Amino acid sequence: MSYARSTQFNSRRTGSWGRNQNTTRYASAVKLGPVTHTVLVALMITVLGLIYLTQATRATSYDYEAQKIDSKIADLNNQKTDLQVENARLTALENVQNSSVARNMTEPSQTDYVGE
Amino acid sequence: MQLDLRKGSRARILAILTLVIMAVFIVRLFYLQVIRHDYYVGQANSEQLKQLVIPAKRGEIYAMDDGSPVPLVLNQAVYTVFADPKIVDEPGKMADLIRRVAGGNARSNIDDLLAKKDSRYQILATKVTRRQAELMKKESLKGLGFQEESQRVYPEGKLAAQILGFVNTEGKGQYGLEDAMNAQLTGKDGLLQSVTDVSNVPLTIGNKNINIPPENGENVVMTVDRNVQAYTEKALAKGLKDSGATNGSALVMDPQTGKVLAMANLPTYNPGEYNKVQNAAAFNNETISAPYEPGSDIKTITMTTGVDKGVVAPGSTYNNTDYITVDDATITNATKGQTGNITLQHALNYSLNTGFVTVAERLGDGSHINWQARTTMYDYFHNKLRLGQLTGIELANEQPGTIISPNDAQGNAVRYSNMAFGQGLDVTMLQVGAAFSAVINGGTYHTPSIVAGSMDDEGEVFTPAGAKPSYAGVVKASTSDTMRTMIHDARSAFYAGKDKPGYYIGGKTGTSQTIENGHYVDNQTVGTYLGFGGNANTNQGPKYVIMVQVSGKNMNLQGGRDAMPIFTDVSNWLLSYMKLQPKG
Repeated sequence: MSYARSTQFNSRRTGSWGRNQNTTRYASAVKLGPVTHTVLVALMITVLGLIYLTQATRATSYDYEAQKIDSKIADLNNQKTDLQVENARLTALENVQNSSVARNMTEPSQTDYVGE
Repeated sequence: MQLDLRKGSRARILAILTLVIMAVFIVRLFYLQVIRHDYYVGQANSEQLKQLVIPAKRGEIYAMDDGSPVPLVLNQAVYTVFADPKIVDEPGKMADLIRRVAGGNARSNIDDLLAKKDSRYQILATKVTRRQAELMKKESLKGLGFQEESQRVYPEGKLAAQILGFVNTEGKGQYGLEDAMNAQLTGKDGLLQSVTDVSNVPLTIGNKNINIPPENGENVVMTVDRNVQAYTEKALAKGLKDSGATNGSALVMDPQTGKVLAMANLPTYNPGEYNKVQNAAAFNNETISAPYEPGSDIKTITMTTGVDKGVVAPGSTYNNTDYITVDDATITNATKGQTGNITLQHALNYSLNTGFVTVAERLGDGSHINWQARTTMYDYFHNKLRLGQLTGIELANEQPGTIISPNDAQGNAVRYSNMAFGQGLDVTMLQVGAAFSAVINGGTYHTPSIVAGSMDDEGEVFTPAGAKPSYAGVVKASTSDTMRTMIHDARSAFYAGKDKPGYYIGGKTGTSQTIENGHYVDNQTVGTYLGFGGNANTNQGPKYVIMVQVSGKNMNLQGGRDAMPIFTDVSNWLLSYMKLQPKG
């Protein structure tokens, strides 16, 4: 009795492609010369420079904003101080004594003390 | 690619020229950027790098008001308004605006100032408020500028002027607390170093930026009570008006702690207008800066010495003949007629000099103010009760006064006989007040203080100061009990009806001669009153000590007649203010 293989097995390694291999190979038709490379590098440097300049300018613009906020803080502090001074003037003894409330006060005719 | 430049061809010449020019540029740039690097960096920094001083805020000064701090000295931003006449294009409009808004703070000759076209800086108004400055800024006038500065403001006006002092145009404290605590009040300026743009706006670029924030000055809280100070000043002014005296001082302190509650001086001034003061004497706080001979108040100290040494008691008697001889000097009583065998309490009531010269003699051998008597008196007066020494109070221009030592040639028996009744020694009111406090509080000398603590930067949280040294047992508690009773009885003998009933008040008059050109004069006396008040005759009973002094050129002022009413006025008011409950 003789046996014959019903299926032909081939090693993957022996095939022209495998699971992890591309089946299509691309090859660029555009060829860049040395001048183009130089120009591209120059352009990249320029773009990077522009990015740097943009960021630096943006940081400076924050300085102006910070300056405006500082000025506003100083202004508000001055306003606060003015109000404190005004408050102190309005509650000064002379003003209190000359107020209509104080003028209408009278000496008590009798004082009763709670026992200590 | 290889260029084939023929020798002498134009292309070859151009190439060489280009190379030469490039070489020149490279060499020049190397010189500028490498060799002269530091120089040009320095130049750039001097143009772009700015150092701005961030001024520290001067500390504010507070007083107490029934236990809570209230501001007496604050800071406020004010502006100096200036113009650059060269670029001002609407001088008329500018002058009108400044006159209208700044009012009295505007210069009277604004038109003339603006007409000086060759000038670049003219001050048109000073001390303009922030609101006024904003009104001016709104008009956007060309050539108008504003310079901010800080000034001291005094919401209570003249109140406690000599305690506070003032700040001069250079920002330095003068007189009072402003002077004594100038370093603490000034703080430390900050520094901002940064690259700036043309408008001086600091930029974050660069690596030399420095930002040191300022350390603001300490906000000082005084022990002085605003209400007590105000009432004392008012009572003093009334007392001077009634007596005709031109000068007066009053001191109120807490005998249980040594804290000063009030120091009033007349004539006075407004610290906000210190430059208008004609007589600089008004700046002085006479309670600490003007040692004087306090007169009979000191009899309480002499008696304390005698009682504490056990040589006399209130009931001890002596034969009063209205005069007494010490070496070659004869000392007489101002009040005559209380002759015979009288007690020392009687002598204190009538303020008889002979009685206290007798006490001094009894500190010695009984009939002479010998070395032992003088050293004992000096020990009590100077060493224990600290008369004639700086108290160290936190105020400028404190004077020590003088107590002549028995080791000194002038410290003889005559000198010490005079000291026994308050002459022949120079002491300040504060020294006497502190010594008297020790006499009536059970015998503890509390170093006088006027700083209660500090407030935080926001002026909201109060931190108490550490206690100053106290010296217990400078006199015995029993001596203090005796003296309190004696001083109370001395006041009650003549002025009992003056006090509110139910309280325990004591006091002693003093009328002292003054020295002019080295000699006592008869037509000029200083009136003094020294006393205490409270609601119980115990060591903790006295709640306040008041000392009043009135004087005037060529005026005979008396302690009982001229100074005592001021004491009574303040004392009766304090009993209510301190909410002391009457007893008995």
